[in-house]
Amino acid sequence: MFTANTTLMLVATFLPLLGALVLLLVPKGQRRVFEIGSLLVMIVSFLMSAVFWFGYDRASDAVQWARAWEWIPSMGVKFSVGMDGISLLLWLLTTFIGPIAIACSFKSIEERHKEYYIWMLVLQTAMLGVFITQDMFLFYLFWEVMLVPMYFLIAIWGGPQKLYAAIKLFLYTLAGGVLMLVAILAIYFLQHKTTGGYNFSLESFQAMAPVIAQQSKTYQILLALAFFIGFAIKVPMFPFHTWLPDAHVQAPTAGSVILAAILLKMGTYGFVRFLLPILPGATKDLMPWFIGLSLIGIIYGALVAMIQKDMKKLVAYSSVSHLGLCMLGLFALNPYGIKGGMFQMINHGISTSGLFLAVGIVYERRHTRMIADFGGLSKSMPIYATVFMLMTMSSLGLPLLNGFIGEGIILMGSFQAFPWAAVVATLGIILGAAYLLWMYQRVMFGPITAVNEKMEDLNLREILYFAPLVIAAFWIGMYPKPIMDVMDAPVRKLVEQITPGYHAAQSLAAQQAIAAKLGMRGMEAPAQQEVTSEGHEAAPATGHEVPVHEAPAHGGGH
Amino acid sequence: MSADMTLTHAATVASQAGSYLWLIPFLPFFGFLINGLSGRKLQSTKVVDFFALGSVGVAFLLTLWHFVQLAGLPADGRSIHQSLWTWFSIGGAHVLGGMTTYKIEWAYKFDVLSGCMALLVSGAGFLIHLFSTGYMAEERNDGRYYRFMAYMNLFVFSMLNLVLGANILMMFLGWEGVGLCSYLLIGFYFEKEFAAVAGKKAFVTNRIGDFGFMIGFFLIFQVFGTLDYDTLMGSVRGIANMPAITLYGHTASPTWWFNLIGCCLFVGAMGKSAQIPLYVWLPDAMAGPTPVSALIHAATMVTSGLYMITRLNFIYVNAPVALAVVLAFGSLTAFVAATMGLAQYDIKKVLAYSTVSQLGFMFMGMGAGAFSAGMFHVFTHAFFKASLFLGSGAVIAACHHEQDMRNMGGLKKLMPITAMSMILATFAIAGIFPFSGFFSKDEILWKVFEGWYQHGHYTGPALNLVAWILGMLGAFCTAFYMTRLIAMTFYGEYRGAGNDPYNLSVQSEAHHGHDDHGHDAHAHAHDAHDHLENGLHELDKPHNHRGDDPEDHDIVPGHHPHEVSWRMWLPVAILAGLAVVGGFLNYPESLHRVLPIVPAELFSKWIEPLLYQVAPIHHGEHVPPAMEYILMGWATFVWAPGAMVLAWWIYKVDPSWSRAKAFVARFPNLYRWVNAKYYVDEFYEAALIEPIKRFSAQLWSFDTWVVDGMVNGAARATVIWADLSNWIDQKLVDGAVNLVAYIIQETSSVFRGLQSGRVQHYAFVMFLGFLVFAFWKFLA
Repeated sequence: MFTANTTLMLVATFLPLLGALVLLLVPKGQRRVFEIGSLLVMIVSFLMSAVFWFGYDRASDAVQWARAWEWIPSMGVKFSVGMDGISLLLWLLTTFIGPIAIACSFKSIEERHKEYYIWMLVLQTAMLGVFITQDMFLFYLFWEVMLVPMYFLIAIWGGPQKLYAAIKLFLYTLAGGVLMLVAILAIYFLQHKTTGGYNFSLESFQAMAPVIAQQSKTYQILLALAFFIGFAIKVPMFPFHTWLPDAHVQAPTAGSVILAAILLKMGTYGFVRFLLPILPGATKDLMPWFIGLSLIGIIYGALVAMIQKDMKKLVAYSSVSHLGLCMLGLFALNPYGIKGGMFQMINHGISTSGLFLAVGIVYERRHTRMIADFGGLSKSMPIYATVFMLMTMSSLGLPLLNGFIGEGIILMGSFQAFPWAAVVATLGIILGAAYLLWMYQRVMFGPITAVNEKMEDLNLREILYFAPLVIAAFWIGMYPKPIMDVMDAPVRKLVEQITPGYHAAQSLAAQQAIAAKLGMRGMEAPAQQEVTSEGHEAAPATGHEVPVHEAPAHGGGH
Repeated sequence: MSADMTLTHAATVASQAGSYLWLIPFLPFFGFLINGLSGRKLQSTKVVDFFALGSVGVAFLLTLWHFVQLAGLPADGRSIHQSLWTWFSIGGAHVLGGMTTYKIEWAYKFDVLSGCMALLVSGAGFLIHLFSTGYMAEERNDGRYYRFMAYMNLFVFSMLNLVLGANILMMFLGWEGVGLCSYLLIGFYFEKEFAAVAGKKAFVTNRIGDFGFMIGFFLIFQVFGTLDYDTLMGSVRGIANMPAITLYGHTASPTWWFNLIGCCLFVGAMGKSAQIPLYVWLPDAMAGPTPVSALIHAATMVTSGLYMITRLNFIYVNAPVALAVVLAFGSLTAFVAATMGLAQYDIKKVLAYSTVSQLGFMFMGMGAGAFSAGMFHVFTHAFFKASLFLGSGAVIAACHHEQDMRNMGGLKKLMPITAMSMILATFAIAGIFPFSGFFSKDEILWKVFEGWYQHGHYTGPALNLVAWILGMLGAFCTAFYMTRLIAMTFYGEYRGAGNDPYNLSVQSEAHHGHDDHGHDAHAHAHDAHDHLENGLHELDKPHNHRGDDPEDHDIVPGHHPHEVSWRMWLPVAILAGLAVVGGFLNYPESLHRVLPIVPAELFSKWIEPLLYQVAPIHHGEHVPPAMEYILMGWATFVWAPGAMVLAWWIYKVDPSWSRAKAFVARFPNLYRWVNAKYYVDEFYEAALIEPIKRFSAQLWSFDTWVVDGMVNGAARATVIWADLSNWIDQKLVDGAVNLVAYIIQETSSVFRGLQSGRVQHYAFVMFLGFLVFAFWKFLA
């Protein structure tokens, strides 16, 4: 009945919107109906999307389940959908986070339930839409539409400064979106000039890469900058990040979760999907700047996070740091970096969502998020402490949990491309441990006060919405291969688009196999060694002078 | 892809395939899962014991079984390998010589080195688990016993991953895992601020080390294109013999690159193995329960740096500068930490600095290129130091969580088994023949000296001579402070019961908290009392003081400590026994010539196939120089006994310690500096942590006022502009319009009902309209 095909993909994407339409008809006093109804819609949407995980052909780098309908023929706009491994993963992440975001709202949303859940559902469809479109026009549409529900979620259900934060988020990202639109239109018209036709399809845009490469440097750089700023605001990269702490702090918990888990990924997704394949040349030209900003983001975000007094703000700045690392990986432009960047997107979606949820828990109970108001919570809330610990460890990149997979691969990838930047980024992991553990220590450890002693531990609902995150964290940490396999072919294609011939380099596999067979026998001294009296007599400390003789065959290729 | 296939399976060719290897690390993991998930609900903590001890015990037996199998294999093929699944398969990477498609396996490798380490981890782990069942008896009633045991199991799992992992990333997995467990266990009494801070300090300091470790293995990956031990060992000779290596446009000799790798990796080892300058976390880590100190901070985790260097010895043998760095830092640590131990009164602190110092000795061995000697000291040290730590735990438990040695004394009569075990272990650590410490430490010092001595040529690097002198001084201090510890704790009169003729005891730090550390210990004791009073006693307790007033239990006259339960003294005794005889496993060649009954250098020969050889080895070919016998005799008959006699003379012969007091009065500043651990912590606080915090605060201001200020400024400018336009609009343009509007408004009251006035409704209707429009276009 459920096979992965275009129809099911569209149903899974638009189901939340449909749910929203149905809920529109329900009288607004029916709080339970909205809660359970929207949760069910999200879960069904997730279950449908899960089919695609199994149906995806991992060997192919093509866009799968692709289909296009004519929409505005005069402009060359098509309703064109489909997914490759990269979009599939983010699409799945969105449907995965959806039910969690709904479930964490049951208690914290105390007014205007009807609108809240309807907006959440609309937001979900808008976000899912971004990841399935294969048409630039449709992409831009979803990209901007997504802002509307987010705006209302923050502006209505947010904290004390909600209007400021909401308007800032809206205007700031809109400005970026407009820049992106300019870039899209520029390519669109350039395409018209070269081919004579009007076409908004992503494929045709990517096919423009060689044409763009022949344009003037200024043109290319401006185009790249327009894309870059548009996406960098969304990511957000330093110095475009200041909307993020405000939005996170003011947003309701679910808003923060979605913001961190999905919305920020739109920016990184934009880099992977558009900037890198369409403008590889200009990206490489601007690389020092991009790397610089990523590095500043990593260190700066971590340092600023360290001294925050508000837990949510701390997590928000940690996002700046983590996303900086993600961008560093993507800019490494090699398979390690890009895959690591993709992993970091997913991992950040899991661990930072987890942290925001964790902050939301104590906020619901105490209506404060100030670190100083807490302490010793491990005593009164042991389950919470465990979950919080897991999310903290996942966020600071402890092996066995998901965070390490992303961080480790990114650092390895960027080390291949620019070692010094990788060294600086690696310093960031020290700071990551410092600010997260410091927060954990101040909130969870130490003496407990009377008011905190009375705080209730997680209830079943809360455990249930943390559970998927914890399971996902362990699964990715211990066996990330299935996810890597999904993105393998598309990343390979992307790397070839950026650096043609990357994979044509001479393979070391054969000689490594020989070396592996040799194993510890490679430690033995070669037999013809007897001649050197020095090496024989020398004390171990000076035994390093390796006598020169011909290299064994297995090392010849090095 | 077929080449990849061969790569994945090739690793098994150099070694035998094992099918039960995975159980060794995973059994403790299952123990952790069972206890961690269900421990809270279990009625009886005996069930927790069953899973915690059972899993580690069976893992030990399994290790033993594998070890026996391993011994049956030919010397150059002693390796058992099991690959569970592909952990990472990332794609192509451009490295030296081409492109690698290396896949990182979740794989285990049981060979001569990891086998020994696994025996140590699971064996010592089991004994210390057993000890914990006695030591943590108080926690059995307050619902956190299961948590302790679960963490301990998780630690054993991580540590076994570290040693058994078949590639560097598996080692890193364990490396970070033990760091986590160390963090959790140091902060086990998390309600005590100091314990929580110490845990965090340990983790963050280790992260600084991890930074170096990570850079190191990134570099290894760039040079070798793999992280798999077998492949690394198989290809290293080829790479070391290359004329030059060009990476990142930089061309240098392989030695240069290996030096770089070696130094980076050593930073990681510094963190984990507590070497100067990253040792500061280890003394603070004593805030954790004593079994933790014994297992993690003496016997196993802190030796992972040594394990890593021995595992990657093929890098270091080809990296003379890195080896010199290791030697320099190792000898410095061995000496400086030993001096710090001289003036401590907290029994655990003495042992902590002793551990740092002994780790320094091990690094000296490595730095001198004597990997097997350094590694052997890892094992002997594990025996005697674990015994000493557990013994101190027994003492602390018997003295009601008193850790200050000034409030102890005379315990030999009261707890003879513990005292005897600790005294034997002290002989071992002091390096007295024929206790184990003699064999390992003497070997290290001899190898360091020989590096300079050069078979009578005296042409080696001066560093070796300096290191040897520092090492000798460190050894002297070691013998001194250990004898001091024994004398203070076990001899004289018990000073904890108000009986203090020489006015030596101090107001127990456990009570008034003028020192954070003591405060912690006290609070723990206090807590334990409360819980004891509430709870039911299931098992024999280390001491019975129910009903004591927790504030004055130490000064109740006649309330004497007594021997602890067998759960606690048995592990101490077993480990002490190993500390006595363990040294014969690496009986030096020089003594073998004197006394040929004992086989020479069993351990060195066992581990030899794993060590990168520059020249073929011919055992027993060289006549040991007379110098070796001279130094050996000097160290064990004059030097160490001298230090012991000195300490005995100061602290035992004179029960009022007047000579020590006179010395302190004579050199107050020296004493102050040593006692304050040379103010290193204070220096770090002032020179590193505070500036970083200040800088962060400045950055935040920058963020708020400059970065965000520009955003808000842009908004403000727009608003001002808009106001201006608004004024023009309202006064000039709108004036005319308003007139029209007024008229219309009067006529339009009919339509007002439609307007709810809610922005959301409007926007939503707009959005729907847009969708309808879009859908209509789409259908058309």
